[in-house]
Amino acid sequence: MDIQNTQSQMRKGVLEFCILSIINRGEVYPSDIIDQMKVANLHILEGTLYPLLTRLKNAGLLNYRWVESVSGPPRKYFVMTDAGKEAFSVLLQTWNDMANAVSLLTQPQTPNTEA
Amino acid sequence: MKKVININFQGRILPIEEESYETLKQYIESLRQYFDAEEGRDEIINDIECRIAELCDDRLKKGAVCITEDDMRLIIESIGRPADFEAQDGFEATTNASASNANQQKFSANDENPKRLYRDEQNKVIGGVCAGIANYLKLDPLLVRVLWILLFGISLFAYVLLWIAVPNTSTNQIGSARKRLFRDIDAKVIGGVCAGLSKYFDIRVRYIRLLFLVPSILLVLNWNHFHLFQFWEFDDFPNFIELTFSPSAVFVYIVLWLVLPEAKTTADKLEMRGEKVDINSIKNTIQTDMEGFGKRAQSWGSTIYNKAKTYDAQSAQTPSNAVPEPAQRGGCLHFAGRTIIILFKAFVYFILGVITISILAALFGVGIVTTGLLPLRHFILEDGAHNWYAYAIIVFFIWVPVIGIVTAIIRKIAGIKKANVWVRGGFWSLWALSWIFIPLFFATLTKSFSKQNDPMEQTYTLPNAKVNYLEVSAEPKPKYYNHTWLKIEPFTFLDQDTVYVRNLRIRIVKAASDSFEVKYVRISNGKTMQEAERLASLINFDLQQKDSTLILDKGIAINKKDKFRNQHVIMTIAVPVGKRFKITHKGWAQVNVRVNKNGWRSETHSGFTINDGFEGDDWDQNIDTESFDYDRDVEYIMTPTGLERVDGVKSSDDKEDPEQLKNRLEELKRESEQIENDLKKTWEQKQKEADDLKKQLDKKGDNLNRNSTKKESSVSDTVKAFAFGFDAIKLLVSRFQS
Repeated sequence: MDIQNTQSQMRKGVLEFCILSIINRGEVYPSDIIDQMKVANLHILEGTLYPLLTRLKNAGLLNYRWVESVSGPPRKYFVMTDAGKEAFSVLLQTWNDMANAVSLLTQPQTPNTEA
Repeated sequence: MKKVININFQGRILPIEEESYETLKQYIESLRQYFDAEEGRDEIINDIECRIAELCDDRLKKGAVCITEDDMRLIIESIGRPADFEAQDGFEATTNASASNANQQKFSANDENPKRLYRDEQNKVIGGVCAGIANYLKLDPLLVRVLWILLFGISLFAYVLLWIAVPNTSTNQIGSARKRLFRDIDAKVIGGVCAGLSKYFDIRVRYIRLLFLVPSILLVLNWNHFHLFQFWEFDDFPNFIELTFSPSAVFVYIVLWLVLPEAKTTADKLEMRGEKVDINSIKNTIQTDMEGFGKRAQSWGSTIYNKAKTYDAQSAQTPSNAVPEPAQRGGCLHFAGRTIIILFKAFVYFILGVITISILAALFGVGIVTTGLLPLRHFILEDGAHNWYAYAIIVFFIWVPVIGIVTAIIRKIAGIKKANVWVRGGFWSLWALSWIFIPLFFATLTKSFSKQNDPMEQTYTLPNAKVNYLEVSAEPKPKYYNHTWLKIEPFTFLDQDTVYVRNLRIRIVKAASDSFEVKYVRISNGKTMQEAERLASLINFDLQQKDSTLILDKGIAINKKDKFRNQHVIMTIAVPVGKRFKITHKGWAQVNVRVNKNGWRSETHSGFTINDGFEGDDWDQNIDTESFDYDRDVEYIMTPTGLERVDGVKSSDDKEDPEQLKNRLEELKRESEQIENDLKKTWEQKQKEADDLKKQLDKKGDNLNRNSTKKESSVSDTVKAFAFGFDAIKLLVSRFQS
């Protein structure tokens, strides 16, 4: 079994969910997403973030707004659309189920004494 | 000391070092390629560009004077290279971030990125197409190359196409040393094309200049009959060389001149040389630049001074329009330029390939023929030293270089760059050794052939000389099985000790009487006169007439003791006027037929003139003018004027009818006269028109006077030009007539 491959598959699966959950907290600038993820000890390159955001936006889950900045040209801030919020709640549900299942399975098996 | 430029990048003005600007440009290009298939490519690139601009701005706000190479490196690292995206393909936890960073550093095109077809710059031999395909299909590049060479004809075209069409890996990696073709204006003679090419191919500039210059001079001198490969007697190849090199050298030069951008900036110059653009190399280039600067500044100054003088008041406008910026040329032109360069490169490789392959084939051919003749050596070579010389030459002179060249080519294909000095030295010294044996061998060999016997003419009395038709044919061979499948002419084996040589020449002459006559001489060479005489007397040449067929012996027998010393027979057949004869293909394939139109003359004088018999010429070659093409298996008839084919077909080199030539000359004369008349008519017409114009101008009023004089002068100019042209044509016509 290729452990590295499995690892990257796992990360890939939750990456979009992580990003959506950050945006779900409120309007956000892409580099802030990176920072917030860093705080959570998750590292992502901006070069991978931008294409993902564009894909999510094209899928109708995100929207962006131009916000004037003090220095230089306006910046792009991303927000959730209604469809995005819906998708996020579905994903959250899936994640909770999964997390439960995984934590249940990874615990050492307790002998069934009641029976 | 670094040059800083200002760029307008995503709405921000950024002072940036020139080299980091180049890095930025390459980085964005690599992103563009990576996201090529992506739907929102432009948007992604735009977002990333915005972010880069922002990061740069941050740095400037913190007090940096400009964006340095280090800044740019950090920024690019934080955003990530395409290679990193591939490796990461998501995100990762801090714990193994450092480990995978190390992985990212090791990235190279051949162990990652199996999804796209790239030309592999790292493992390339010519253009990297084979290596790229091997990488894509996960095969050994060597295997792909060998298959490619086996299918050479078809694949050459495909190779060039792929070379042009497939992007190379270096565009996927930042800062890789990629060469580009520029015109080198610093080392230029005309346009800097040759200098640029020499930098690109890493060949000395003088060879490239020669490649352009020699054909151009040939073109000027109109040396059309200069055949480089004339001794090959191979018509197509020299024509091909001529056609491609002489007129097109000038053409290619001009096209390249137009298409290639000139190396202007330092980064350009480095790219031209294929060096990595970094601080050190830039420093070096600038230093060499400065050395030549003084001189160029001087000449520049003088040209500008001259220009200013000649243009005077207008000079303010012209310079801005006069010099088109090569940088402004569109991407389309650049693509065309790249295509032409690749085609040119492919063409050079093709020529080199053809030359290598033909040399190899020739060497192999010689090797095989000489080795194949080895069993015959007993019939030619004397025992002892002579024999050993022959062996030494075959091994050292022929097989050693064949093996050497084949090894070298295989090593080149296999990508082994470092040559083994000892192996190479060994090959060369063995080959040099053969040069000692060659003169020795030929000296002894020519000595054994040096003398020739004094031939005696013998007559074969035909039992039935008065036949109307005589067919010359060889004795039919017993056909138990076809044992002649590997027959090396002119030798044919019959048994171990004897070889039969079919060395016969036949002359056809006019008979004095009404009966056929046959005479022959036996000739041989030898070390001494006596030996030659002895060998000649041993020639057993039997003739037999059966009805109307003259049957020749199966060949001149040569045994191992007496050796082959060019024993041969010259036979003369005298054909009476009005009688027919034919020489068949059967048996004696090597028979030389020499037809003498002037009858018995050579015989009535001092026997035979045999000096023409030793040229080794073929029967169908006309060396003396008195003979003509002779076709075998065709019936001929002797007429008072000479031989003629019975079927009436004219021989190919017959002269044209003088009557016809005369007619053609008359026709040409008539045509030229007509052309002259036509010209006269148009001349008159144009003159009339000019007169009309003049009259019209005169009619117009005084107020238009100034204009009319101007017009008049232009009209008279055209008239003058026309008259001049007419005179020139007249001169030409008169030349043509004479």
